[in-house]
Amino acid sequence: MSDEIDFDELLSKYKSDPYDYVDVYAVHTGQVTFKVMEGQQVDAPSGEWLQVPGTSLYEINRERNPKIVVAQTNGTVAEVVSELDGRFVEAGEKLMTIKHPLKKKEIIENIFREVLYLFYAPETAKYFFSMDIQSRIDKKGARSITIDQGEEIITMSLMKRDTPVYYNGERGVIHSIYFKPGISVKQGEPLIGVCALDKLPLIQKIITRVKANWDSTH
Amino acid sequence: MPLNSPSPQDVLSHLQRLLTCSNGLYDSDAIVRYGAFVGSKIESHEFLPRAMIHARTRIESLAASGKSVASGTVILADTMSHSKGRFSRQWHAPTGGAWGCMIHANTLLPQSRCFVPLAVGIAGCEAVREMGGRMAVLRWVNDVLVEGKKLAGFLVETYTEAIFGEEYNLVGFGVNINNRQFPDELFDSAISLREVLGTAADLTRFTALFLARLAWNFGLLYYEESSALRGEGFSGNGGEHLLLEQWRRLSDTVGKRVVYGFDVMRSPQYQGVVLKMDENGGLVLRLDDGFEKTEYSGEVRYL
Repeated sequence: MSDEIDFDELLSKYKSDPYDYVDVYAVHTGQVTFKVMEGQQVDAPSGEWLQVPGTSLYEINRERNPKIVVAQTNGTVAEVVSELDGRFVEAGEKLMTIKHPLKKKEIIENIFREVLYLFYAPETAKYFFSMDIQSRIDKKGARSITIDQGEEIITMSLMKRDTPVYYNGERGVIHSIYFKPGISVKQGEPLIGVCALDKLPLIQKIITRVKANWDSTH
Repeated sequence: MPLNSPSPQDVLSHLQRLLTCSNGLYDSDAIVRYGAFVGSKIESHEFLPRAMIHARTRIESLAASGKSVASGTVILADTMSHSKGRFSRQWHAPTGGAWGCMIHANTLLPQSRCFVPLAVGIAGCEAVREMGGRMAVLRWVNDVLVEGKKLAGFLVETYTEAIFGEEYNLVGFGVNINNRQFPDELFDSAISLREVLGTAADLTRFTALFLARLAWNFGLLYYEESSALRGEGFSGNGGEHLLLEQWRRLSDTVGKRVVYGFDVMRSPQYQGVVLKMDENGGLVLRLDDGFEKTEYSGEVRYL
């Protein structure tokens, strides 16, 4: 976790370019056919249960099994690797980039992600806090809960197989929670952001600075 | 003397009988060899607070002395005082039921692990049917129902032992066999095999049958994994995984209108019609707005 933050530089970066550039990769090997063009607007999944699929980005066909891959974020298609259209690609090959406009809340979260210790999802699954942690959160709120390395904090649930997940970061309070019970989290996405106790004032400073600067100019 | 005390030989006898049921599409001998570790050691107790906790203690104490627990060890208890279901739900475990857990050293590949809950549910449903409960069906993921009431429930917990870091699946099972009384809150939703048959069932025989079916289904997991790794695909019709094929035969979930929730009792989320189970065991639902959604976790209740 960084101790020093150059707020002016950070805020100036987000003000001049308030976008995330989200790269989209081939989900597996196969022949790829693009469904979007550069400059096109794309939508993220929507609906109360995210049941309405996002915009179709590309089709990938492996052994006569075509699969449509949809956008997971809204924005504009900034770049398409068009020479790959109709070609066989390897899993993980970059296919396009989506330029996603950031909201103020997302900017704060992005800055947090640079300063918090992020604890990531080990598998694509649904997650819920362990019973002990949940009851402590219910009583005091997450930001009053200090967790230690080796503590069982979360249960990962996949096909009714529950796996305890042990925290492996530095001691701190649960500052940000990035998952919701019942909503699937992709492998490698952050589950929680943890803040060392002595760094809490820094976090508060970030919120104050971003809100003040953004409110005055946006 | 515990009431429920099948021997490993009882389990093996039932498992060997399954060899005769081969349809020629797969190698039954190989499946039995893969699965025969289940029930190779059985501990029967008159009372335990909770079999899962006992299993964890057993794993830890053996690891502390530099040993490993035998994969396939089954822990049974005639009654349990602190048994539980998912989340914070209570599981009532009085005398007369088949309560316990099986310890499985997790040597499966990640893509096979998600089928473990299906394997135990299928084993439970098959054993209930073989004992005479012909109407038993599976509700996704692995609840065994008769006439819409729950006869058996299963819970799989992964546990990583602290000294050597070995990972185990603790396969918990609770089957209402001869237990007659249920707590008030379960009165309308639970049923025992005794009620279904109209007479008491042989608890030890049921447990041996169930463990033999569990051995077969774990054998299938390894067998299909091996087949896929050889590049031969799965062995069911159209290249389907044999466990998924069997689940489909035993389940009445597809076509039903359901309410879905991660914790459906406490927080029901949405309603829809079940279209199918996908190749990974996920449930494909059509919501009322016509869109489809696939769930890989959570639970459903029929409407």
